[in-house]
Amino acid sequence: MSSISIDKSVAMGLKDLLGYLLDSDKVDSVLTMRRIPETGAWDLALITDSGNLGEAEPLAPVMTVNAGKELSSLSLSGKRIAAVLKPCELRALIERVKREQGSLQNLLTISHTCSGVFPLEQAADGSMNELLPKYEKVASMGEVPSSVRDTCKACQHFIPVHPDIMLASAGAQRPGEGCVLYLEGGKAEEALREFRGVRDDRVFDPSSLDRTAAARKKERDRLFARVENDCSGLDGLLNVFGKCVGCHGCSRVCPICYCALCDFESMNFDYNLPYFEEHLSRRGALRLPPDTVMFHLGRLTHMSFSCVGCGMCSDVCPVGIPVAAVFSRTGERTASLFDYVPGRSLTEEIPVMVFKEEEFSELG
Amino acid sequence: MNKEFVPRITSFLCKWCSYTGADLAGTSRLQYSASIIPIQVMCSSRVDPVFLLKAYLSGSDGVLLGGCHPGDCHYETGNYHTRRRFAIVREVFESLGLESDRLRLSWISASEGPKFARIANEFTEEIRLLGENPTRKSIFL
Amino acid sequence: MISGEEERMDAAGIPYMIRPGKGPEGSVLDLLGQLIGSGGADALLLPFRVPSGDSFAWIMFSDVSLLKDAVPFPATMPVQGGRALRSLTRKEKGKLRIIALMRPCEIRAGMELSKLGQVNTENLILASYDCPGAVKLEDYVADPVSCDSAHSEMRSRGEPSGNARSACSTCVDFSMVDADIHFGYFGIKDGGMLVLPGSPAGRALLEGLNLEEGRGLLPQWEAEISRLAERRAATREETFRETAERISGFDGMLATFSNCIGCHNCQSACPICYCRLCYFDSEVSRTDPEALITAAEKRGGISIPPDRIMFHTGRLAHMSLSCVSCGQCSDACPVSIPVADVFSFVAERTQRAFDYKSGRSDGEALPLRRFLKNELDGVHEMVKDAESEASPNE
Repeated sequence: MSSISIDKSVAMGLKDLLGYLLDSDKVDSVLTMRRIPETGAWDLALITDSGNLGEAEPLAPVMTVNAGKELSSLSLSGKRIAAVLKPCELRALIERVKREQGSLQNLLTISHTCSGVFPLEQAADGSMNELLPKYEKVASMGEVPSSVRDTCKACQHFIPVHPDIMLASAGAQRPGEGCVLYLEGGKAEEALREFRGVRDDRVFDPSSLDRTAAARKKERDRLFARVENDCSGLDGLLNVFGKCVGCHGCSRVCPICYCALCDFESMNFDYNLPYFEEHLSRRGALRLPPDTVMFHLGRLTHMSFSCVGCGMCSDVCPVGIPVAAVFSRTGERTASLFDYVPGRSLTEEIPVMVFKEEEFSELG
Repeated sequence: MNKEFVPRITSFLCKWCSYTGADLAGTSRLQYSASIIPIQVMCSSRVDPVFLLKAYLSGSDGVLLGGCHPGDCHYETGNYHTRRRFAIVREVFESLGLESDRLRLSWISASEGPKFARIANEFTEEIRLLGENPTRKSIFL
Repeated sequence: MISGEEERMDAAGIPYMIRPGKGPEGSVLDLLGQLIGSGGADALLLPFRVPSGDSFAWIMFSDVSLLKDAVPFPATMPVQGGRALRSLTRKEKGKLRIIALMRPCEIRAGMELSKLGQVNTENLILASYDCPGAVKLEDYVADPVSCDSAHSEMRSRGEPSGNARSACSTCVDFSMVDADIHFGYFGIKDGGMLVLPGSPAGRALLEGLNLEEGRGLLPQWEAEISRLAERRAATREETFRETAERISGFDGMLATFSNCIGCHNCQSACPICYCRLCYFDSEVSRTDPEALITAAEKRGGISIPPDRIMFHTGRLAHMSLSCVSCGQCSDACPVSIPVADVFSFVAERTQRAFDYKSGRSDGEALPLRRFLKNELDGVHEMVKDAESEASPNE
């Protein structure tokens, strides 16, 4: 454990770091959020030329895609990539590596304490821009900006888990502290050997975020209570998921759902007319396309224990179903059956891949 | 509650233990509930949680999953995986306030004909008390 | 459009009418109830309000007591009817005979899907109605009550209003299409309605119902449809002009799709894109990560996920010939890209190149299922033009 302090803002310090990594050939490319100059659109980008870092916005409170998902595929290139990830993106990356969808070997992960991101819609239509100064002000005081997504407000994992390099966002620092990089492990030490800054052995003190942690705990309880109230029993489930249009966008943007062809889009869920005839004769009516609730319940059993609560599913839902709230709440419960925390550690095995001989004796 | 309510219980039974146990119950002329609709699977771990959901959402009043006792799986460890998956499905149900009691996991060996009959009858009775599965009537699923 | 209808009408039989009283919605439901009661069909497929009240779902039912809960002319289009028909008849035939009441664009999607082998019309009786357009799904979910009243206003005027989707404001195929039965009510006073058979099957069904002959209503209906079609055609032209300008050149495409996050919702909501696994979601189309980094190195940087323009232009190449301009892609887009404007505009051109019009049932084969030895002379010139304009890479 060591730290490097730079007398600059966190954002500027981070940009310096990315430039250094590219220029001193420590990595081949850098994965970061950026803002496309011509259109003003937010974008995740793989940048190989430090000259292009001008448009990089590594700390932008925007998530267009879960970068952990994209990075895991990129990691298979064998090229060295430094990636700036939000804590949930880092956890998604770990979950994907466990699923053999990527490798940490050539990656240098950089993450930061996170105050949440704006709803995708507001990032796309530009309406977040006027809210951004207020966001930054509130975040700098270590509080949860009211403009971020519900899922973010309720996030309990806003301090990254074991990135190679960690930064504390403004709220987690003492005033005038500048940019502090907390290095973990030999990979980071090696890569930053010639990086200029004041070396020290400071360790990040999470107690600076106690207040926001308490606030987020409260938000989480409130969000989960709302889900429990709205989405309980068959009627509740239908009330929440009944308007699903079956686009399956939620599963396509999910970093955990890596299957090239989802079971629910496979022939397993194609039916012949006699099947419909039978259902019609038994119930008198049925919905088309079928299996609307099935899809969500099925996905909950297939992946909820690995849900990192990144919120992309809610962002892409065309009818505004609070998918992420339901999935993170149930996911917290299914994961805790196995004392599992998604994305916490590469050595923690995916619950459905292993078992203990003595467990769940109440079942069976 | 409707006295004539006859539950339908979709039952996934592993070939080596539970299904054979059911056979034994039959050949031993044990009386057991006619609500049980058996489906033979090669191993309880062949049952994707989605099968249980499909049965539940298609209007089965109860869903029974039967496998070999832990340690006795014909494929050595299949039923340990079954148990974990079943725990997940139950938790998903409970988290959403769905009736998890409509789902049941039982270990029944090939020699346990009487146990099969007992579980079939017990489970049928439990389901009778729960009443018809509301998914039978729902048109928006 | 109108003259084609007259021909078909002659073939399919005389128009019937329903006198004012219950209004178009009530009259349609009544008539469908009679059809199922008379044994003309086993089941109906209609939109129902979902339990949360802020959207609709396709429900197939045989229990007539449910008819009163159906919403025949819903204000928005959450799931394209073509997709419902696809899930129902894709796999194999059966005994069921189902009457489906859908918007014209949904029927047209059904026709395309039938040519693509994804819908079997043998079991279906398709009924269409004069469609004033739909409101945006997002708006509807946010405020169903005011959207419902906006839509009923649209229905009484026969045309889309401010919060209608762009695809609807530019739609010229909003009335009778190649359905078995069409319900025409635009321009007919006091809530009266025309019931037009569009096929021998439709005629056979209607003949048994003792309906009044409705030839007298035809002129006012036809005149109103032409008037409305002209107005929408004007909006269409205007929108196409704007779209052409917006997407022109590679920079134009980039700017239009710059917010695209690659979720592919547009494709999964599209009734025509029936592939179980889209080519652009498959491993084959995925750029090898190593090649991707090489590409990034060439440009100094690259957007992630890559190939977004590839996806949209690829989809245009794959399906625009069958695009029915239903607008579902725009409704499903989480970042409000006007996908449908682009697709409708391009589709009109690709379809025109083959003198093809999507959504007709007249046995016209899909352009890519046939060819002529001497055709498309202009293509060589187009290629030359394109080469001389050589645009930069993505």
